[in-house]
Order: sequence, then structure tokens, then C-alpha cells
Amino acid sequence: MKKFIIIFIAAMATGMAGCKKSLDVQSPNAPTTAIYWKTADDAVKGVNAMYSTFHRAGLCRWFFFATIIRSDEGWSSSPDANLQNNFDLFVNNDYNYGNYTAIWSDLYIGISRANQVLDNVPNIDMDANLKARLLGEAKFMRGLFYFHLASLWGNVPLQLKSSTTNDVTPTFNRSDVWAQVEKDLTEAATTLPQNYTGDDIGRATKGSANALLAKAYMQERKFQAALAPLQAVIQSGAYSLVSNYQNNFLSTTEFNSESVFEYGFALNPNDNHDDDTQNSGQDNLNYGSSLPPFFAPRPIGFTDGEARRWLVNEFQKEQAADGKRDPRLAASLLFDYTDERGPDYTLIYGETFTKRYGSAQKLDVWFRKMLNDNNGTATGDSFHSPNNYRFIRYADVLLMYAECLNETGATSQAYQYVDQVRQRAGLVALSTTRPNLGHDQFLAQIKHERITELTGEGHRFNDLARWGDLGTNLSATDAGFRNFIKGKHEFLPIPQQDIDINPNIKQNPNY
Amino acid sequence: MLLTLVGNPVLAQGTGTPITGRVTDATGQGLPGVTVRTKENATAATVTDVDGRYKITASAGSTLVFSFVGFTTQEVRVNDQKTIDVQLRDDAKSLNEVVVIGYQAVRKRDLTGAVSTVSPAEASRTTANSVGESLQGLTPGVTVRSSGAPGQQSNIEIRGVASFISSAPLYVVDGMILEDPNTTTVNPQDIESIQVLKDASAAAIYGSRAANGVIIITTRKGKKGAPKISVSAKYGSQHIPKRWDVMNSTEYADTRRQQYTNAGLTPPPSVSTEFNPAINTNWQDLAMRTGNNQDYNVSISGGSDNSSYLVSGSYFQNQGVLKGYSFNRASLRVNTETKKGRLTFGENALFTNTNNYHPNRGNPFYDLPQLLPTVPVQDPRFITPGSKTNPWGYSTGTLDNSDVTYAYNPVAVRDLSQGYNNYARLLGNGYAQLRLFDWLDYKLNVGLEASFDYNEDLRKDGIFSYAQQPELSYIDEDRQRFYNVLIEHTLNFNKTIGVHNINGVVGYTQQTFYRDQTQARKTNLQIYNGSYLTEINAATGTSSASGQVVRDDRLRSFLGRINYNYDDRYLLTASGRVDKDSRFGPDYRTGFFPSVALGWRLSKEKFFKVDWVDNLKINASYGVLGINTISSFQNVGLINISPRAVFNGDRLYTGAYQARLYNANVKWEERKETNIGFDASLFRDRLTISAAYYYNKSDDVLINRVLPLISGNAGGDYPAGDYRNFPPENAASISNRGFEFEATYRNNDNPFKWSVSGNFTTIKNKVLSIGNQGVGINYIQQGSARSQVGYPMGQWYVLKELGIFQSQEEVNNYKRSDGSLIQPFSKPGDIKFGADPNGKGTINNNDRVYNGSPWPTLQTGLQFNGSYKQFSVNLQMVGIFGVTLYNDVRRVLDSYQNTNFRQGINPWSPTNTGGTDPRLGIANGDTGIATNNTPESSRWLENGSYGRIRNLEIGYMLPKSLLGKLRLESARVFVSGQNLLTVTSYKGLDPDVTGNGILQRGVDAGQWPSNRIFSIGLNCGF
Repeated sequence: MKKFIIIFIAAMATGMAGCKKSLDVQSPNAPTTAIYWKTADDAVKGVNAMYSTFHRAGLCRWFFFATIIRSDEGWSSSPDANLQNNFDLFVNNDYNYGNYTAIWSDLYIGISRANQVLDNVPNIDMDANLKARLLGEAKFMRGLFYFHLASLWGNVPLQLKSSTTNDVTPTFNRSDVWAQVEKDLTEAATTLPQNYTGDDIGRATKGSANALLAKAYMQERKFQAALAPLQAVIQSGAYSLVSNYQNNFLSTTEFNSESVFEYGFALNPNDNHDDDTQNSGQDNLNYGSSLPPFFAPRPIGFTDGEARRWLVNEFQKEQAADGKRDPRLAASLLFDYTDERGPDYTLIYGETFTKRYGSAQKLDVWFRKMLNDNNGTATGDSFHSPNNYRFIRYADVLLMYAECLNETGATSQAYQYVDQVRQRAGLVALSTTRPNLGHDQFLAQIKHERITELTGEGHRFNDLARWGDLGTNLSATDAGFRNFIKGKHEFLPIPQQDIDINPNIKQNPNY
Repeated sequence: MLLTLVGNPVLAQGTGTPITGRVTDATGQGLPGVTVRTKENATAATVTDVDGRYKITASAGSTLVFSFVGFTTQEVRVNDQKTIDVQLRDDAKSLNEVVVIGYQAVRKRDLTGAVSTVSPAEASRTTANSVGESLQGLTPGVTVRSSGAPGQQSNIEIRGVASFISSAPLYVVDGMILEDPNTTTVNPQDIESIQVLKDASAAAIYGSRAANGVIIITTRKGKKGAPKISVSAKYGSQHIPKRWDVMNSTEYADTRRQQYTNAGLTPPPSVSTEFNPAINTNWQDLAMRTGNNQDYNVSISGGSDNSSYLVSGSYFQNQGVLKGYSFNRASLRVNTETKKGRLTFGENALFTNTNNYHPNRGNPFYDLPQLLPTVPVQDPRFITPGSKTNPWGYSTGTLDNSDVTYAYNPVAVRDLSQGYNNYARLLGNGYAQLRLFDWLDYKLNVGLEASFDYNEDLRKDGIFSYAQQPELSYIDEDRQRFYNVLIEHTLNFNKTIGVHNINGVVGYTQQTFYRDQTQARKTNLQIYNGSYLTEINAATGTSSASGQVVRDDRLRSFLGRINYNYDDRYLLTASGRVDKDSRFGPDYRTGFFPSVALGWRLSKEKFFKVDWVDNLKINASYGVLGINTISSFQNVGLINISPRAVFNGDRLYTGAYQARLYNANVKWEERKETNIGFDASLFRDRLTISAAYYYNKSDDVLINRVLPLISGNAGGDYPAGDYRNFPPENAASISNRGFEFEATYRNNDNPFKWSVSGNFTTIKNKVLSIGNQGVGINYIQQGSARSQVGYPMGQWYVLKELGIFQSQEEVNNYKRSDGSLIQPFSKPGDIKFGADPNGKGTINNNDRVYNGSPWPTLQTGLQFNGSYKQFSVNLQMVGIFGVTLYNDVRRVLDSYQNTNFRQGINPWSPTNTGGTDPRLGIANGDTGIATNNTPESSRWLENGSYGRIRNLEIGYMLPKSLLGKLRLESARVFVSGQNLLTVTSYKGLDPDVTGNGILQRGVDAGQWPSNRIFSIGLNCGF
């Protein structure tokens, strides 16, 4: 019996020995928040995460449906009725429409990234200049994300601290949202550098912050307030128009002298997902833009979004100084006469228009600036375009400044800025062709200048909103606007799922 | 058999001469515990000892009565014998059955908790992917829902659902605790017994993980005697019980043209000017086939006085009814046990290797009915020379994309995207048991579950659906290691003093779960001689890698149970377990889970004098169980390093931040369970009945705290907004209550022997609390399913279809109380939805109402067994009543957009005002049509009640005369038909729907229907 009891005790002891393995198991997969936000490197990575938001599907794809296709320059012939209804025809019967919520959600993901930087980086012991710059970048980015929210949804909740599970942030009036955008961008403009070198090229600059700040003021029709930041951009001397207009839309000429702020995209040939928080398969992240197939001509793409034909006519209202066609037309739009000689010469991804679509007249027009067909050899386009989105170009800044001058009674001073833009395009100076315009005539001219210079760059809906031009009157050129209801369709519906969870969030008027 | 009640021979007082003897069963084994008394003097009684011996005093002329529950009572007249040996015939074996209840085995009749025993003979009659699947309808309280896909797991719930995250029961195989419910690995033919622990008393010994119930599987052991060899083989052909009845190309073209004409649009050329009647693709024909299953088993077993062994091998394979899908499993089992003196050593080991082949994208049961009959499978015109986009010319719609579906071309998927899973598993345990005293045993049990998993994803060049991103070809290999190690020390005691018996167990256990994963992938596969080289080194593109520790969980527990039995009349069980789990923070780690149960055997009371009642026992239990449904590392904040910024041209820079919000205060869920029931056997054990009422209430239920999108919460591994990304919180409460009833009637009196068993279950599920989901929000909404406080989980919350607008006037008169039109965009022929008269604006989400439940009001099962001479028949039936399902496949088909149409749709039109379906039209720009197709509407809800002949088997046992000639000990041949008939009004392929997670349990998104299987089989013993 004794022997057994010894065996028994020995066995128990052996078993208990395994007990020493602790119940405090640390994750070997990732650092915990408790040990993060301690070094300058942590701070830089935190800031980098904000820029990563740009290639999430909501921002690199659906955002352009909400800005370009929803405006009168674009329309949709997608077989997906939801896409057409929600993005082109102002027919919304699902406030949780997934491609709306994708944009909404990605903007707030970006905001949560910025908030974490703004909450944690001040406590890091690091180089003061770098810290100030990083905080400036975070404020710029938060301002940018709220700029888009104020533009698309208007009245939205303001999350200004790192999110917690208990947040019940209420809806703020659009004017409060603009105020926050302006505050963030003003502060960003004071601390951000004029430019960067090497690895930092592409980060937000003082010019980026001032230009976006002016855009925000302009949407509020605070033209006087917009003058100073625009002057700052222009007087900085940091920017100039590139001589070849098309260089603003090629993946090989990114971050050029005209670039005020770009969304950086790059190609991953091994991608299989576009969620930049997916832990598994980080090597397979798509950090390119997935827009091109949605805008490209069939059968290269799906043509879920395409351009209205009136844009072609708009370009043809005025010839270049040399008597030829406005060269910006071919850089902006793909259609049967992209090559002036006609469909037999116009190349659609390496094949002539006639060969692709036959000889019968085909009136489709496609937005070209974000496609990759421009290099002449491209035979297709993909979901992972490396071609950056030039969110703010210097040409836009010049036209904004001209508009603000006109709105503040300084029309005559405004001519020179319009002329810079026109002359780069080879047009005769406006001061020559149409001098001494009054406010209203000059504004009408600005409208023409903006649509020809900025077609398919995502600014049109905001322009129309600012000018008060949104309404059923636009249905003459874009049939979708016949369903437009004033006081409702200026904004998208707030996602019902967020209202369901947080009743402090209010639906937009008339939804 | 530690706990068999053992009586000491007691000399029964009486007059006359002492008589001794031995009571044995049919096999000659001594029967302990048999009551021996004289008929004349009931108080002069004794019970037999461990060897079945007894001693009693009786006078000549009296009658000795030998009685023992489960055996036929025998009477012997005393003349002048000194020795009377008796062999008792067992009457109803089930009553004396031993039931494994976790760390102990007790006689079923002594149970105080809710334990169901499933006959493996019954369960193994069906051809099933897993043990779980075969339980359907066989026992009350267990809800089994299954799909017919090869290798697919069933969805098993015991007594309802009380968690928002997991409803899976715990599995215990031969004492090894498995948390991974992958029971496909256990070969049903190896199973000796299956017990289902349903209440707190039964399951509390597994404390922390028992709250969803426990399924205990015990595998066969060798028995003393000469080696026995048995061989069995079964072959079945599998058929789809039902197809979608969709239109052929001519009908489709007619309908589609009508659709465009109604909308005032030009129809696509493929259905009008260029319609080609020669193209009439029957997609279902192209994807479906007659499947088959084959099951082969061979085993050898035997034993001596001191040792026993069983070795079995099996091979199972299943070719699915969809082309490209197949599954096979090979397994080897070795169970041995050896005794030396006070020591017993044993082991159970199972090695299995499973292979599962399947196309890796899409779901044909969702896609097939949608695909257009006017489109060929392949066409060279889809090929762009020199392009890898569509090198095989698979169609994804018409050539000009004017008529498309978003469904996947199944022939293309089968060719271009191939998945393969190989799991090599080891499952087993070794134990040493030491008898310290006659009443006390120590046992060391060490268990291991290990799995080596390989998942392959092969992607060839080409697209298979409209609007698809062309991908580079690639090979992706994912390898995972899993282990689960269990170490248990237990002390079992069992002591009888007079009429008191106390037995029980105490122990300490520790368990570790670990899984890691390494995945690698490389693009650009090379093709030689028309075939792909599919190894990573043979690919020439970019490579990528990923790896992580998926889980690392540790558990330490103390456990104990005491059973007290007074005179076989009063039974008490008390048990408890203390668990510490590493997945919780130090302050929340420890949970204590106690339970108590009482039983009273009325039939043993003296006052109970009802001849026709052989046994009547009532029992009641109450206890608290725990459960942990979170995964590793969820109670800490983690930094996500996946973001990538692009600067300086196309260079990448790593970003990092906390993507996912967390909750440090997660702790154990508790489930308080009450069970009241009775067991009875009547009419000399011909009729057995058991019934129970249960009430389970869970508290502190972990629920993913749904956060608004404005939180920016992005979980990493699920899309933004997916509830699984949200932090868990102990906030909810759910109750389940209901009745369970089962009865069996046996009639063995005639050459035609038969038995019939029936059971039913009711479950009333109710959400009691949902935690803080936001101010004033007391529900979780997923799709059309809402789980709201006061209602069962996943109730349908939808716009209610009232009918079809017959005229514009009716549309114009359909108004809110404020006079505004409710559906101003609708036209005659559109669906009229119910609206809140006091609501605002056009029809919207605020007009949704409750409309039906995905929970059945009644679940039933029925089995009939009969035998006559060499023939036997077995029938299993299942009935599910009162359930409402969401038919998501029909939602797509009846939307009329980018899909083929169902045959026999009856669209409303001005000339067909009796039409029961809405008007044909194009949704683009037509809010009326878009509204008809609102996903959250009652239009897609259907009655999912059904009755089904689950299995019918007819067997023939070869007669002894023939066996001798064949040198066989036994042989049986059988034919069977499975899922022969389903009576239902459900329009989908199968109303046995497993659902889309816990919150959308009634959604049928194209589930693989249960197959109809015709089988033939043979069992032989040598």
C-alpha cells in the first residue's frame, strides 16, 4: 500500500508541476496599447496610419461615385440598380446602402486614427519639431476627413477624442462641423512645413492645410476668410503649374510642382484585400486605388460610372490660341473623338474606338484622369491602380482665389489667376478675350473655367452646392437630377445603423 | 464499474432453513443487488453480493422471489433444497444501463440530472458527416440542423440558445475534452455510447464550458473472449432532393422582353434581336451529378482476464451531388486496457486523416438558379488574345454585358479556383488507475488532441463572374498546428453502509489550447503542357507570408461531485467546479459553478402499490454553469500594424494604431439552470416514459457590443461594421424554457417484435437583456432579424407585405394620417407594404414590424423498429413545426433583376390583375420596383415547417444454417433510404436550414440541401 501511495503522491506532484505555466498569456502577435505610444517611431507610425486610410475602398472608390457620378458631370448605366439609384438618380430607399456606409465608415476610421495621434503623441518624449509636425499632420487629416463629411453628409457627429465603447456623440450642425474643420486646418497650417524631402514627400504641408482651409471657407461662402490662406499658398512660391496638363494625371509624374495634396497609391501585384486593418495577409493589402475598373470603358471595366456628353461640348466652346482644340479635353475624357481625327484613331486601351465598338455612332464618354490608359500601351486596368488622386492642384487654388476675389468685389484682380490656368492650357488670356466682366459674368466664367480645368476630379458637386446650382434645373444635362429634391438631396442619408445604435445621431432633413 | 451498488450478503431473518445460492444473468455473470425475499414474509429479504450470492432463511413450502429492476422477476418454490441458483432474464436492458456522466459512470436509473442516452445503433443507421448530424430527431432537447455538403459540420444546440456568440456544446470523447466541435473525425462505427448532458446537475462537473450542454462519446472496448473480427461495408448513391425550377432560354427571353417593354426600355439584343434559341444553358445540369458515399470498417477485438483490446480501421468517402465537391476520411483506432493487481492502465487513440476538395469561391446553391439560360458556359469570343483576364472564355453574362448576373459561373469556378483541406488528427488519452482502498481509486488521465491542418487555395488565370477583378494566378498554402492537452487527477470513492451509499469524485485538472498558423503564397503559376505547376517554388511572381498564434488559452480547475443514495429511494447529487481561465484578466479569472439535484424513487416506497408501475422516479435540479466564448487576447488593447502609407513616389511606410476597441472587464458568463422531470417504466417495462421541464437563464452573457461606424472601430479580420469586430461585453441575458418528452413502447411477445419511440421538444427562447446598445436601443438588428428584449432571438422584423396595388387610385389613396402618400412612387402591380399611419414620409425602416419566428414551436422525432425472424425494419422520422424562414435565394430570383426567373411566376399586369407576384419591370430608376425588392420585407419569409422520413432501413440477418457454411459468426445485409420524403410548403430546396449565425438562424442563403441517399450495406462477424 505504501508503494502505491508514493506513486500517487509522485503523480500528483508531476501533474501540479505543469501548473507553473502562467495564466497570464501575452499575445505574441502584436504590441499592447500599454507599451505603445512611447517613442518617436511610434508617433510616426501612428501618423502614417492616417494616410493609409486613403486606399480603403470607401475613399478610393465609392467616394468618387458620391462626388463625380452624383454631380451633373457623371452618370451611371450600371446593371446594379442600387448603384444607379443611390449615386446617380437620387433614389434612396436604403439608408444603410453599403457603398454609402463604406465612405462614412472609412472617414471615421481616418478620424479615429487622427484622434489617437492627437491624444497620445503630446505625451511622448521626443524631438519637439517632429512632434509639432506630426500633430500638425494629424490636425490636417482630421480636418480633411471632416471636410468630406461636411460636404457629403452635412450634419454629422464630431468625434474629437479616441473612441471608447461608451461614446454617444450627438449630431452637430453643419456650421459646427465646418468650424471644427477650420480650427484643425488653421492650427495645422501654423505647424506644418512648407515642403518635404525624400521619404516624407507626400505628407501634408502648410500649403495643403491652407488650400483645404480655403475650400472649407468657400463652401460656407466665407470668401473673405478664404482669401488669406489662398494668398499664403500663392505667395509661398512653393507651387507652379506644370507645363504639360496631362502630367497631373499620370502615375509617373506624381508629387510634381502643381501638387498641393495627393492621396498616395501604389501597386501591389499580390493583393487580395483592401482592409488595411486586416492582420492576416498584410503582404496582400491593396494599397492602390480600385476605381479604374469602375470608370473604364466596357469591356476593360464595368463603366459603372461615366461622363456626360455635355462636358465635351463645354470644352469645345472655346479654341486654343493656336486655333486647335483645348488640349485638356483629350486628357480629361475618353470618347470617340478623344483623338481629334475621330473614332478610327482614338485609342481605347490600345485598340481603336472603331475596332472596339464598331462603326455605329456610340456617344459614351468616360472619365480619363484616374485611369491608366494614358501611357498608350495599357491594354487593361485593374483594381489596384498606382495612379495618385490629386485632391488639390495649384490650378484649383488659382481658380479658387479668383472666385474669392470676384466674390469680395475685386474682380479685376481675379483675372491674372484665371489667366495662369488658361494660358497653361494654351488658351488666350481672359483679360484679352473677355475683359471688364461684372461679378455675375465673371462667376459664370469661373464656372466654365472650373469644369474645363477640373472635370472628373471630384470637385463638381461641391462647386454646384456652393453656387446654389443644385436642383432639378440640372436635369437638362443630367437626367438624374429630375429626382432631386431641394433641402434633401444636397446630402446623403445618415447611415440608419448608426442612428439605431446611437439615437443622439439625427437623420438628415427630409429623409 | 466503480459505482455499481454492492450489497453485503445479509442474513435475512426468518423461520426455516438457511438457503444459499447464486443469481446470474443470461451470460452466467453474477448479479449483485438482486432482492431475494419470500413471498409469504416480505420483511425477510436480502440482496445478493458482488458475485450474485445470497443467503436466506425460508421454510419449505414458501416461495422465493428474485427481483431486480430491469430483469423479469422469478419465483422459485422451496421444497428441501439447500441451494437455489437462479438465472434472471433481462427484460428491459435500458434500465440497467450505465451512463457516463463525466468522471464517473452511474446506473441510468440513479440519475438525478437530465441526461439523454442515444443508441449508437440508431444513430449509425443514417449516413452522416458527423456524429452530431446523426442525432437529429433521436433525443429530445437536442436541435440538430444540417446541410448536405460533404464534410460539413452540423449545427447542434442543446435546450435552445443562450449565447450571442456560441451555442456549440462541449464534446468529451473517452474522457478527453474537446472544445473544437470537429466531430467529423470520430467514426460513428466505433461508438459504444452517446450521452447528452442537458442540465446543470449533469454538466456542472464540466463547469466552465458546460453551459451549452455536453455530448459524451464513449468508444468501443474489447471484451473478454476469443478475438472477434467484424467487417462492414456500405454504399450509397446521393441525389439532390429538389432543384430550383427556373425558366429555359425561350421562356426567359420572353419574360425579359416583357420586363423591358413594361419599363419602356429597349430589351438587350440577347433576348430580342439576337436571341439564339440554340443556346439554352441548364446551369443546374452542368453543376449537379449523382453523388455517392462509401463506408468501410474492419475491427478486431478481444481480451483476457487482465487485458482487452480493440483495433479498428475505417474509410469513408463522399462524392457530393455538386461536381467538384468531395470528402474522404481514413481512421485507425487502438483502444487497450490492462490490469495488474490494483493498477489499471489503458489508452484510447484515434488517428484520422481527412481530405476535403471543393471549389473555393461562391456558393452554387445560391448562384445556379440565377444564371441566365441565354448565355453559353464558354465562348471563344470572350477571350482577348494575349490577355490573362479570361483565357478560357468563360461567360460572365452576355458578350456585350447588356444582360448579366452577378452570380458566379460554376463551371469556371470549379476550374479556376480549387480548394483543398487536409487535416491529420490525433485524438486520445492514456490513463492509470490505482485502487488505494476498496472504496477509493486514484486516476491520472492525460489527453491529447492534436491536429495538423493544411489548407490550399489554387487560383488559375481567369475570371468567373461579371465585374470581377482579374487576379494573378497563385498558390496559397496555409498550415496550422493545433494541440489541446488535458491533465487530470481524480479520486473516485464509493462506499455503502447499510442502506446508505455515497460515491463521488474530486479532482484537479489543467488544460491548454494552442493553435498557430503559417501561410505563404506566390503568384504567377507556370503552365506546361497545358497543366499548372502548383508548388510555391514553381511560381514566378511575388510571394507573401503571414503567421500568428491564433489561440493560447489555459485553464485550471478543481472539481467535485457527491452522489448519495438512501435505500435506492432517495438520491442526492451535489457537484461543483472552480475554473480559472487565462482569457480573462486576473480579477475576473475565477468562476465557481455549483449544482444540486434530488431524486425520489416513488416506486420503491412501501405505500406505492401500483402493480403496473415498475419504476417511477422524480427528480429536480438547480445549478449554475459557466461559459467562455471569447478568444485569446481579447481583453487587452492591441496595436494594429497593418496600415501602409504611400509616400515618396510608390514607397510604403508602416502605420500603426489601435484599430479595435476592447473591454478589459470581460468575465465568465453564468447560466442558471432548473430541471424537473420524471422517469417511469410501466407494464412490466414495456412502456418507458421520461419527461422534463427546464428553465435556463443566462446572465452576464458576452455580447459583441455593437458600435456605431462613427467609432471608427475596425476589427482587422472582418469587414468594418461586422459585429465580430466589436468588443465583447458581459451584458446580456437570455432564457430558454420548455418541455421534453420521450416514450418508448416495446412488444417482444410475438415473433414479430417491435418498438416505437417518440419524442418532442419545445423551446421558448427569450432575450431578457441586451446590455447597453445605445440610448433606448434594446435590440440587435442583423439583416431582417431582430433580437429584442422580450422576444426570442432573431425574430423577423420587416416591412409587412399587404398585397398588390391594383390601381393608381389605390396608390394615391394610401396615405399617412398627415395626408402624405406612403408609396407615391409605386405603380399598379407593386407591393403594398404595411405602414404606421402616424409615421412620417414615404415607406421606410420605421414601418417595420415583427412578422414570424425562426424558432419552431415544436420539434419531434419518431423511431420505429420491428423484426420478424431474420428481417428487421427501422424507420426514423423528424417533424419541425411553426418555423418561419427567410428564403434569400428566392429574394434574388423574384427581384427580377440580373437573374433568371422562377417557373410559374405570376406577375401582375393590367391584363392579369389576379397576378400574385408584383409587376415585371426594371429597378434602375424605378423606386416602385426597388421597393418591391426591399430585403427587409415579409415577401421573403416562408413557412419552414416540415415532416420528413429521415431514414428507412430494411435488414436481413443470415440464418445460422447459412452462416456455418460461410464460416461466419453473424452476417446482416440491409438497404436503406434517407430523406425519402419531405412534406413542406417551403419553396427553397430544404427547410432544414442551419442559418446565418446565431442572430440570423432562419436565413437560407442557398444552403446545400440534405441529400436523398439510397444505400446498401453488409455487416459480418467472424
